[in-house]
Amino acid sequence: MSTKIRRIVAGVSGLAATSFLAGCAKDAPQDTWQPKGTNAKIIDDLQQPVFAIAGVIGVIVTCAVIYCIIKFRDRGQAMPEQTHGKPALEIGMTILPALILAGVGVFTFRTVFDLSKTSDTQMVVNVTGQQWWWEYDYPAQPEMGITAPIITSGQMIIPVGTKVLLRETSRDVIHSYWIPALNGKRDAVPGRVHTLRLDADKPGIYAGQCTEFCGLSHANMRMETVALSKEDFAAWVANQLTNAKSPAEKTLAKEGEGVFLNQCVRCHQVNGLKKADGTPAIAAPDENVWSGAAPNLTHLMSRNTFAGASFDLLSPKCRADVWGASSETVGKKYLAGVSEECLNQTDLRRWLRNAPAMKPMYADPAKLTSTNGKYRGMPNLGLTEDDIDKLVAYLSTLK
Amino acid sequence: MFTPGSKLFLGLTGFVIAVSVIYVALVDSSVGGAVALLSVAIGTALLAGLSLFNRDGEVAVGDVAAPAGAEPLTSSMWPLVATVGFVGVVAGLLTHPIVFFLGLIALLAAGVEWLIQSWSEGASSDKTYNASIRGRMLHPLEFPVLALVGLGVIIISFSRVMLAVSKDAGAIIFIIAGAAVLFVGSVFALKPSLKKTLVVGVCVAGAVGVAASGIAAASNGLRDDLVKAKKEHHFSHKECGEEEGEHFDHLAEGTISLRSNVVATIELRDGKLTARELGVDKVTQTITFPRSNDATIIFRNKDEKEVRLTAFLGTKAVQDGVVEEVLNCTQMIGIDHEQALTFKIAKPSMASDKPYTLTVPGLEGQSIEIMVP
Repeated sequence: MSTKIRRIVAGVSGLAATSFLAGCAKDAPQDTWQPKGTNAKIIDDLQQPVFAIAGVIGVIVTCAVIYCIIKFRDRGQAMPEQTHGKPALEIGMTILPALILAGVGVFTFRTVFDLSKTSDTQMVVNVTGQQWWWEYDYPAQPEMGITAPIITSGQMIIPVGTKVLLRETSRDVIHSYWIPALNGKRDAVPGRVHTLRLDADKPGIYAGQCTEFCGLSHANMRMETVALSKEDFAAWVANQLTNAKSPAEKTLAKEGEGVFLNQCVRCHQVNGLKKADGTPAIAAPDENVWSGAAPNLTHLMSRNTFAGASFDLLSPKCRADVWGASSETVGKKYLAGVSEECLNQTDLRRWLRNAPAMKPMYADPAKLTSTNGKYRGMPNLGLTEDDIDKLVAYLSTLK
Repeated sequence: MFTPGSKLFLGLTGFVIAVSVIYVALVDSSVGGAVALLSVAIGTALLAGLSLFNRDGEVAVGDVAAPAGAEPLTSSMWPLVATVGFVGVVAGLLTHPIVFFLGLIALLAAGVEWLIQSWSEGASSDKTYNASIRGRMLHPLEFPVLALVGLGVIIISFSRVMLAVSKDAGAIIFIIAGAAVLFVGSVFALKPSLKKTLVVGVCVAGAVGVAASGIAAASNGLRDDLVKAKKEHHFSHKECGEEEGEHFDHLAEGTISLRSNVVATIELRDGKLTARELGVDKVTQTITFPRSNDATIIFRNKDEKEVRLTAFLGTKAVQDGVVEEVLNCTQMIGIDHEQALTFKIAKPSMASDKPYTLTVPGLEGQSIEIMVP
């Protein structure tokens, strides 16, 4: 073997080995090859053999091309005999791929129909996308213990082993909901409602990412689905059905409630929060935000991410403890919420200090003419450090 | 000094001014009539000026004689059209923008035509050649515009007829008119030897007939049910309570709702109102929508009379201390028919003293609650 050929073989082998090893990432929460739910497994059952078939064909074709390149390279030999037409070969090379594609097509169609099945749905969640976060509202479903609607954002909580139907839509532009471990992706389109079925085999936190380019912070539009055991799910529901309690008088948190009423309630709803005159404080994101909605913060500290699941509410150590927990313990750890010790004060304070600096958003008042002055994302509220201290204290009470 | 033509127009100008003074003094002191008459006076004054300027178009002694063999110039209607356009522009400035724009169009068209015609008539001493180059310049503009105007007149005239006669007569007229066009068109196609004058005559007679019918129908007004429906505001669909009107679009539900993307189907059957949400295979009395997002539902009437579905979507302050309910509703839906209804609720349920509901006016004790978390 000549030096040149040895170099080529070494290069190709190195490339192949690198590609192969790249598939061995330890921390790959959005790996499509590790299905954790029925529909994801249905997809996996199709993609594994299709990938194998395509891989074999790819290897054969690549080897044939390389063989021909080397074997018949120009070495100054005489022009070989020129022939035209090999009917048997041509027909065979047409029929064989057609048969392979037809075979793949049959299983693909069957998979598509299997994935669209919704008749045995056990629970429904309305999923609404907007720039750049996801909102989840749970209609009242007494059989699931949900006696009144629940609203949350960033992290969707589902009971394990339950067939959950997502009714997806969008308030502004097209987004796409994708939790690779639980199912394929489905677009959330303004004015339309698309359905997607999820279920999880085991308790755990399953990460996802908006997969339809939706503007400036598309890359920061993340989401998680948290699967809890049925008992843990019931506990989560019971907590979500409660209203926020006002902090004790003469505390920093109580002062923070005042700041919240002054600044944040223009967009963010906290159920149970009352104004000074005792009437409920109702947020008006429809008057201030282009999409017409901002996350409901009633139980902010019951979820462990914020700002479209872009940032952790948990400190790195506590996060590793929850996200790395086994399926037996993850529920308890998740339900513990964000304690004072575990609160990621650094990121939360940075966010309150200047949100657009952390996550690109259309929040410059001078550049909002196309949206009639309404924000797309959270603006810089110009809070003082004193206000931020108070707000952090208040937000910490929203368990 | 004054030519006969200019004298005529100056006289007319003086006469119209006098008439306008008398009109204002004795008949109507409002501005409208006087403006119209004075606009005419301005037009005739302009024509008087033109006549004076070109000496009524006569060749004066001492002018260069026409070349031998030159044919006399044709008369032109464009000065008259330009005058009418000018009058329209002036009158439009004082009365209505439409008059102004029609006048402007007439003025511009006359200007272009007059310009090209004058240019072509001086191009050579051959009148036929001059006419041909004028045609090459203007026919690509004239024919499409004339076709557009002609078709517009026919379409508007025919629509006036259809709006004036009863629904049954309208159907008959439509069939007869369609059959007549098909028949005449077939005859023209099958008999290419027909005289051109006959073909033109039939077409012109048909067009004039349609236009005349349209004018007669327009002056007669809309048929009674359309007049009443207009008074009942059914075209803008303002009725959300029990139907008190008589004339409305009974087929509004159509079939478009079948293709709509709906989050729930509301059904009225045997006096009971039920809902079925997308993806949930059971009936319910409560449906849940996200806030601040368009939601489309279908209302299906399986009952025994025409009804409508009304959505109560909260309240809004219309002025200090005055609050009114926000309602949206379908039109009256016939038996076994359906209609889509799209609405948006910006605030959660907790923002409203009364729950958001879907009800059927006149049907007591039946409602679907809309929950907005």
